[in-house]
Amino acid sequence: MPELGRAALVVSLGLVVYALVAGAAAALTRRRRLALSARNALIASFGSTLVASAVLATALVRHDFAFTYVASHTSRALPTRYALSAFWGGQEGSLLLWLLVLTGLGALAVWLNRAKARDLIVWVVPVIAGVATFFAFMLVVVASPFATQPPPADGAGLNPSLQNPYMVAHPPLLYLGYVGLTIPFSFAMGALLSGRTDERWIVATRRWTLVAWAALGLGQLLGAHWAYEEVGWGGYYAWDPVENAALMPWLAATAYLHSVMIQEKRGMLKVWNVVLVSLAFGLSLYGTFLTRSGVINSIHSFAQSPLGGWFLGFIVVVTVFSVGLIFYRLPLLKAKTKLESLVSREATFLYNNLLLVALCLTILWGVTWPILSQVVSGESRVVGRPYYDFFLRVFGLPLLLLMGIGPLVAWRRASLRSLGKTFAWPVGVSLVTGVVLIAFGAGSSTPGLIAYTFSAFVLATIALEFARGTRARRALAAEPWLVAFTSLIGRNRRRYGGYIVHAAVVLLAIGVAGSSAYQHVNEARLKPGQTLAVGSYVATYRTLQQTKNANATEVRAVLTVAHDGTSVGTVRAGKNVYTAPAGDVSNEVGIRTNYLTGEDLFVIAEQVYGDGSVDFRIFVKPLVNLIWVAGLVFLLGSLITLWPDAREERRLALRYGELEAASPASS
Amino acid sequence: MIALSVAAVLAVFLLYTSIAGGGTPALKPSQLAGHTGRVSLAGLVVGPVTGDAHGAGLHFRLRDIGSKPGSLLVPVVYTGDLSDQFKVGRHIVVDGTLKNGTFVGVPGSLLTKCPSKYTASSSTKQ
Amino acid sequence: MTVALVLAGLLTVLCVVGVALPYLREPQPASDFLEEPDAAGRRRLALAEERDRALAALKELEFDHRTGTISDDDYRELVGPLRRDAAEALRALDGGGVRPPSAASPGASRTSDDGERAW
Repeated sequence: MPELGRAALVVSLGLVVYALVAGAAAALTRRRRLALSARNALIASFGSTLVASAVLATALVRHDFAFTYVASHTSRALPTRYALSAFWGGQEGSLLLWLLVLTGLGALAVWLNRAKARDLIVWVVPVIAGVATFFAFMLVVVASPFATQPPPADGAGLNPSLQNPYMVAHPPLLYLGYVGLTIPFSFAMGALLSGRTDERWIVATRRWTLVAWAALGLGQLLGAHWAYEEVGWGGYYAWDPVENAALMPWLAATAYLHSVMIQEKRGMLKVWNVVLVSLAFGLSLYGTFLTRSGVINSIHSFAQSPLGGWFLGFIVVVTVFSVGLIFYRLPLLKAKTKLESLVSREATFLYNNLLLVALCLTILWGVTWPILSQVVSGESRVVGRPYYDFFLRVFGLPLLLLMGIGPLVAWRRASLRSLGKTFAWPVGVSLVTGVVLIAFGAGSSTPGLIAYTFSAFVLATIALEFARGTRARRALAAEPWLVAFTSLIGRNRRRYGGYIVHAAVVLLAIGVAGSSAYQHVNEARLKPGQTLAVGSYVATYRTLQQTKNANATEVRAVLTVAHDGTSVGTVRAGKNVYTAPAGDVSNEVGIRTNYLTGEDLFVIAEQVYGDGSVDFRIFVKPLVNLIWVAGLVFLLGSLITLWPDAREERRLALRYGELEAASPASS
Repeated sequence: MIALSVAAVLAVFLLYTSIAGGGTPALKPSQLAGHTGRVSLAGLVVGPVTGDAHGAGLHFRLRDIGSKPGSLLVPVVYTGDLSDQFKVGRHIVVDGTLKNGTFVGVPGSLLTKCPSKYTASSSTKQ
Repeated sequence: MTVALVLAGLLTVLCVVGVALPYLREPQPASDFLEEPDAAGRRRLALAEERDRALAALKELEFDHRTGTISDDDYRELVGPLRRDAAEALRALDGGGVRPPSAASPGASRTSDDGERAW
């Protein structure tokens, strides 16, 4: 069957090359049937890539070790769901996943738009096909998942720390995000190529961008959760290049999402938007390159791989293409409206853009510094956590504040008088919160205190918006409170869904501030019976337990914990010693969550000695669980903004219907 | 106005990275000789591994990742937290200083890289 | 091995057919030209977007005023220019150029009704 896989990939490559060349020719010479043919080729490429993927998936589930890829990433004992997740566990498989998602999303996007905006789609097809050509080429020529070998008796197996539900969901979500950003990018480039200055490309891709952005955000949170529980060093984000690889495109995409709102409402920031969408797409390619090339030292890095050079080349091509095209079409992108006041909603969105891009570039600089410094000074240098923490505060805290200010400032220009009135209550709330927090000892960390106070401000503004909106709705429609509340959200999904997403970001900020700025940590080597005090907890090491099961010996140190004098139960922490891969040891941390306060007691058994004593490191992490709660709120808010709105659809159909009706229709 | 702010932001990083020392040099064992300050060393673990990281110190040697057996070896002594993934043949990164021919690692700074794709492990202090 | 080859062959044939489909369906079309909106059409689209933008801005101002984000004084100051913009946009769309088959007036009143009800 590997022959079928290889053949299917060759067919895919042929199809996307055809879609690229024929599509471009059709757009340039305005040939209708050729354009349709190119579009069909793109859609068909999804079919052939699906066949190739099915071949790999089947081989994984059947433990067909004649496939080198299957042998390297699975073993006979591996449960089916993890054997399937090994699809994206290695280089070749993840490239195939990229191509599958890309052709799938591309096919869907051009199919859904088949009757509208034909003059735009004719250019979008070759752009998507161009990106797909790179990945198909890599799969056929450089890194094939269908290499074969004499089958060994058993495969190498999957690292045990990857065998959990988070690691099954995390990569596909991230891929949906990375690859999903190709769609708005392709539509933007298509609009520029066709010389169109209208908003159809933005209208067509709004939901696509939201889905990709939400998936990227959720994927990162899942990854952070996995790192917290499974890798277990006491943190959830280490500013590792591979982690940053997902954060950078997400920040650029966040800036883009906000910036297009301004173009929609005021016709401004057109150049920003095409630049931001290109940046987001370019960074997702760069992120993929970073993860695979071994060029930067990282805990996720691979041995130096030949893929790196190809990726870099492709990124250069994409960058030159988008920058060149933007420059060429610059006259078309000039806005007719100007910024009227530095104190207006447009202005706050602009500041928002600047801060997000600044943070994004900071991370990019930090990630690339080892290479840059090598080129400049001959010696490679790395930046550490303090660099990232500093800039996260410098740019992140003002961003947090802006989230509260933006929605309440008027368009075009806001008078200081009205600003004073609107912000009086939220500012008051945040000041009172600040004072109360200082009384509770939060003054120990200034950035933490600032983060908390700003968060209180933003939450107050959001609550105010919901309250005032509901009240106004009641005044208009005389509905009971709950009905008014839900119909308010229902009729203004983008606005209130957006507020809920902002609330999620605030919860995230509170969780991050609490668990980093206000954490307690202590460590000691304990013999049974001895205690270790951390924060307001006291942990007593009782005994060591060993249990043997099918694939590992589980060693656990049992501790009893008391909080403020009252006993709160037991915690187990230790190690698993695996039989296959033989000798592999995994760290199993013990986490005790206080559901009322969101606080975690995090116990690591660093080293177990022959005499039964154990090196413990114990953290108290306040409010850390807000981070995971934020993920759920984020999902809710995103779903609300995404939800189809019949009224909006009708209005758009009317606007574009007039256009289609007026010009002679093509079939 | 935008161009100005972008320039200002760039100026801030350039200043920060140059003033704050631009990070720690990232070296391979073959490049280590002669460096006296704190550096970040990345290499492949060569045995024998003796001693105790939680006691007097774990002793092992490092050679360049991708180099042939028999290449230059740097002796390393490390105390502090050690990932369970640490083994002969794995790639590690550790901060430290070269003292009298032996690289003395900073406690808690030793990161063991995963030998295969998409597996992660670390015992970095956060 | 042969099964794989047969399946691969089948896949290739299906894909080629899919790609050739537009030519198979219309061997002798009346026109193979890919229509696109002409200058007048593009202008009308731009004006339609202007109109929608102006109406949406008015609607949002109403909303902000009703919820109290904008004071009565600020509202009075801002509503005038917005109403002028909206009127201009509607006039430009109705007046200039060829009228689309669906008469523009019902369309315009639909959108302004929409503006009130959409609250």
